[in-house]
Amino acid sequence: MIMLRQSIALTLVLVFSLGAWAQDSQPRQPTHEFTLDNGLKVIVREDHRAPVVVSQLWYRVGSSHEPPGLTGISHALEHMMFKGTDNLAPGQASRLLSSLGAQENAFTSRDYTGYYQILSRDQLAIALEMEAERMHRLSLPEDEFEREMEVIKEERRLRVDDNPNGLAFERFLRQAYMASPYGQPVIGWMHDIERLTVDDLRAWYQTHYQPGNAILVIVGDVRLAEIRALVQQHFGPIPAGPVPPQKLPLELPGGAERQLTLNLNVQLPSLLMGFNVPSLNTTEQPWEIYALRLLRGVLDGGYSARLASRLERGEAIATSASASYDGFSRGDSLFLLSGIPNQSRGVDLEQLEQRLWQEIEALKLEPPSTEELNRVKAQTIAGLVYGQDSISQQASQIGQLESVGLSWRLVDEDIAALEAVSPEQISAVARRYLVRERLTRAHVLPNNPEEVR
Amino acid sequence: MARFQSPLRWLVTLAALLLVLALALRPSLERSISEPEAPAQPSTPELTEAPSSIDEEPLPKLRSLAEVDLDQAPARRQLDLQHWTTVQGARVYFMRADELPMLDVRLTFAAGASRDEHLPGLATLTNAMLNEGTGERDAGSIAAGFEQLGAEFENSAHRDMAIAGLRSLTAEDKLTPALELFTAVVARPSFPEEALERLRDQMLAGLRFRLQRPSALASEAFWTDLYPAHPYGTLPQGQAESLVQIDREQLREFHQRYYSAGNAVIALVGAIDREQAERIARRIAEALPQGRAASPIADPFPIEPGHRHIDFDSQQTHILLGQHGISRNDPDYAALYVGNQILGGSGFGSRLMEQIRETRGLSYSVSSSLVPMQAKGPFMISMQTRADQVELALEVIHDSLDQFIEIGPSEAELQRTKRQIMGEFALSTASNAAIVGQLGMLGFYDLPLNHLQLFLERVQALSVEDVRAAFARHFDPENRLVVTVGPTHNEAHTETQTETAEQEPDA
Repeated sequence: MIMLRQSIALTLVLVFSLGAWAQDSQPRQPTHEFTLDNGLKVIVREDHRAPVVVSQLWYRVGSSHEPPGLTGISHALEHMMFKGTDNLAPGQASRLLSSLGAQENAFTSRDYTGYYQILSRDQLAIALEMEAERMHRLSLPEDEFEREMEVIKEERRLRVDDNPNGLAFERFLRQAYMASPYGQPVIGWMHDIERLTVDDLRAWYQTHYQPGNAILVIVGDVRLAEIRALVQQHFGPIPAGPVPPQKLPLELPGGAERQLTLNLNVQLPSLLMGFNVPSLNTTEQPWEIYALRLLRGVLDGGYSARLASRLERGEAIATSASASYDGFSRGDSLFLLSGIPNQSRGVDLEQLEQRLWQEIEALKLEPPSTEELNRVKAQTIAGLVYGQDSISQQASQIGQLESVGLSWRLVDEDIAALEAVSPEQISAVARRYLVRERLTRAHVLPNNPEEVR
Repeated sequence: MARFQSPLRWLVTLAALLLVLALALRPSLERSISEPEAPAQPSTPELTEAPSSIDEEPLPKLRSLAEVDLDQAPARRQLDLQHWTTVQGARVYFMRADELPMLDVRLTFAAGASRDEHLPGLATLTNAMLNEGTGERDAGSIAAGFEQLGAEFENSAHRDMAIAGLRSLTAEDKLTPALELFTAVVARPSFPEEALERLRDQMLAGLRFRLQRPSALASEAFWTDLYPAHPYGTLPQGQAESLVQIDREQLREFHQRYYSAGNAVIALVGAIDREQAERIARRIAEALPQGRAASPIADPFPIEPGHRHIDFDSQQTHILLGQHGISRNDPDYAALYVGNQILGGSGFGSRLMEQIRETRGLSYSVSSSLVPMQAKGPFMISMQTRADQVELALEVIHDSLDQFIEIGPSEAELQRTKRQIMGEFALSTASNAAIVGQLGMLGFYDLPLNHLQLFLERVQALSVEDVRAAFARHFDPENRLVVTVGPTHNEAHTETQTETAEQEPDA
């Protein structure tokens, strides 16, 4: 019940567990796609189980589009989108929506900025009109801006500056991405947040919030004909504008082995290992991305997967160990391993890292068993059915794919693409990508080491 | 919800890191202190708005408003809820949902940390050990069993309740073995020694991890001070001293006593018919230990007000302010629910959000929560702010509360909130996952099947004075407890007790 909001935030990084719909159940939820004359792309999926609907508007702009000095501007603009338009006072639309019991929120990531409302199907027009209004008539008042920047600073303190693991991860990413803008924090550096101006935001808004740079996703108890008319009515009059070109964030193929040691206010030491790897958008061989996903699944696709069964249980060398990989980002990605050594057994970070390397080397030499792969696939297939339980999750999957320049139809092809990967190909991607010149390693240590023992 | 894995695994995991990467950057209020015990009525209200100063705000200039009848209650899903009790005493709640080929099963036991007695952490550990071994299988085999079927196992323990859940496809060759394995895990866990050692270590690591999180420290201090000598006062995650004392026999006894059929609520939502539901519920109830429902938790005694400050090296100070609230069965529940929504329970537009964030930019998140539990749960307000703004923030919170108790909400706020609750209700029953959660809640607090409808009717009948009077009745300003965690600075906290946070005994 509390999970909808989180799912949007979290699915995009980690396991993009492409759950949506198995082949046999697809007709249940017909999906339609059309584009307005001004370039706004619209995707509608019908789900008639309950008389509710989710509307998500995705803009193809996020922190990876930001030049140095302007980090955090996409996120700041997201906050300011709630601060009024020509016809709406600051916060007024939110107050109206909430008085209807609607849920609304927004999110910013490296690749996109999104806004959503979940509400009764009878009230969808209100959400669409409001969203259309702020697509081209945002006020950006100076006094609201000044106050909101204070809120954003509090947000940064909460999430990063007072959260040592958050801080460590921010530093880690900066090293792991030598060339790519993915090294920039989504929330922005504090010194950039402090010098953002409302004029900066105005320019950012003008450049990126064009109908041709957005995707509207609607999932719920609706029919194509009514939606087409409604969307045309509210978004149709918005003039088309120039759409900024998308330059994919690219990383050096093998920059160098990098090492950070961070002494922070953490209680437990932890290890982070990130390998520079491609995403579906940047690879020349799409099978590699599916192989990397299966590789992650073999390592950490559940409590019976290798890291949990060998490192956490079997040898009890790790208090926790995990692997993650997002193959659906706009640019080059990271294959991430992380863990906390089991201190009650006196394990240190070097030992944990060695043990992780053993798992990697073993996979390079010997492909995973059919049984292991079947387990990962079974979960993926079931996930397709489970994913249909939540209209928000369905909309998010469509929106995430589309906003990074991929087709939502990929979800339909997911099972087949995973099935086509041979066990040897999994070893092949491990050999190619899980190598030292692609590695960034961070040791996060407590400030006061003797206290740990 | 930790599907596929031990929930403990994530106690100390680095998953939190990823928030930095993928920020749902707007309101996403931290929920670390809220209890999942009593799911806020119609699911979770997200960001909502109910103006305080802008009371009689005119409707925005939107054309579509003319086309929508705002006074018409929105359409909602028809819920055909069914209830029966098995011969073993398990209370079953069922809703058939044929649209998706899947089934959600959720078992809720009165087996939360409030049953820990002298061993804090016992309930959490027992729950986490369920899927670590049965007579025939070890943890790896159990996990592989679920995973190769595409089934998802879920377990968690809170203060009032402990939960074990299953999500499975309904294809015969998937559902039958998944249910069989699930039943074995819940009814016949073997509590292997090796797993106990491992999970204990993870919990000890989890306790250490808490020490670096000011919000966790604030929450623990708040519950401790609000519930001295009461079962809600201890940390569900336990303490190092108690965790090292827990052995297999205690886990077994706890399981035998509290995971009994008579102490269980079985909620089922999915593509099965009544006959199948009865058969599934009966099998589970037969397999569970036989025994009666646990006796209810007694209400806490009143406490002395106070302000505890915990010194912590951070830029922000975390603030928790609150007092005893109500039990889930309190006749004032609807009035307090509505009042809390208006005051700070509904995110944007609530009075506290307007006063703290929107008008003054003091905090990223501020909220009030009413946590009705089996016994009187807390009512609390939480926020974080730059350390030098704490005094101002506290003043605003106290003033907002005082004013609310004295004058109550405005008529406009009340009307808005009534409409809001009607709208939320439609959303709260949209997914099978949401419905199975609602059913578990109905069963656990022994509420009637038409409770959701009754609640809506009660809400609609409330007057401003009803809400004000209920607040005044339950929230005496003299009883407020304040906890702050952050850097200690000079002029503040003269008369408060201060302590440091760094003395957790080592594992």
